[in-house]
Amino acid sequence: MNYKKLRKKYTPEELAEGFVFPVKLTAKQQKEAAKQLAEARKKTQQEMTDQDRLISGLWQFRFQLEDYLESKEYNPDLTFGHFLKRYVELLDKKRKTFAEEISIDETLLSQLINMHRLPPDYVAIRLEIHSNNMIPAAYWIRLVEKQRLHEIETDKEMRKKERPFVHGKLTVSLS
Amino acid sequence: MYIIEVNSGFRKKVVISPVEEADFKILSNKRYFFEWGVLKQTSSVFKLLIEGEDDILGVMALIDYPEEKRIEIKLLANSIDNQGKNKKYDRIAGCMIAFACRLSKAKYRGYACVSLVPKTELIQYYIRKYHMVNAGWQLYLEGEQLNNILKEYLI
Repeated sequence: MNYKKLRKKYTPEELAEGFVFPVKLTAKQQKEAAKQLAEARKKTQQEMTDQDRLISGLWQFRFQLEDYLESKEYNPDLTFGHFLKRYVELLDKKRKTFAEEISIDETLLSQLINMHRLPPDYVAIRLEIHSNNMIPAAYWIRLVEKQRLHEIETDKEMRKKERPFVHGKLTVSLS
Repeated sequence: MYIIEVNSGFRKKVVISPVEEADFKILSNKRYFFEWGVLKQTSSVFKLLIEGEDDILGVMALIDYPEEKRIEIKLLANSIDNQGKNKKYDRIAGCMIAFACRLSKAKYRGYACVSLVPKTELIQYYIRKYHMVNAGWQLYLEGEQLNNILKEYLI
């Protein structure tokens, strides 16, 4: 679409709210643009505070957690414990200190991280409060559910074990 | 992420996902302003829809530069009925820009950057609307500015 035609129809403000247009730069301009951007970004990085970096880390953590929860794939490594360990590391806190901050025993924190125990609901709520709502409790619970769902769908042994307890099984089927 | 129906003020939840092969037939020059099919070889093309609906309200082409930890918005357009003073929905382009920021942040954390090469006369408007930083030929979002866009559009 011709920019001049659009310019007759819309104001510059409207165009900026509805488009990013293709702009062709010459090789010389491209080189200059890359240099300018690199210099500007260097300055931005230097001005970044520890708080900006922590917020960036929390955003990344949240997005990676969201992406995993939304994906249909199950990854046995991405457990509640894995994400909890990453959260504590992201804050650069000792486990003892973090356990105190959410008022749980350090042993319980270790059990949760190592997946020796499933998290009680109150832990998910405390994690949400601790993150100042950046990581909702529902995300932590959905992580556990994703794992439980995978286990229940794939556990052949349990099905074998439970079969003798079922009587009067239906003879009709949906397939 | 939501857009706002201008007439009613109602919020509508939106989803942004990769454009599928069949979509390129729908993405006509007349309604979406550009030949989007041409971009699929060099860019990742995304579409914005209201959750549960199938009408594409906005399209965006992105190029990832991993060595620079940067994602460039190569092209973006709201559909024709969402342009100008008679647009049906507000915030479409903002949601798409925030989505590019989200991709960059998920991948590059504190180094995440989103850039675009603007038309000269639109520079001040991108800066005003999206708090972009002027780096000469290019505008970009990084650090606090990028975090603010995430906060404004994703929470």
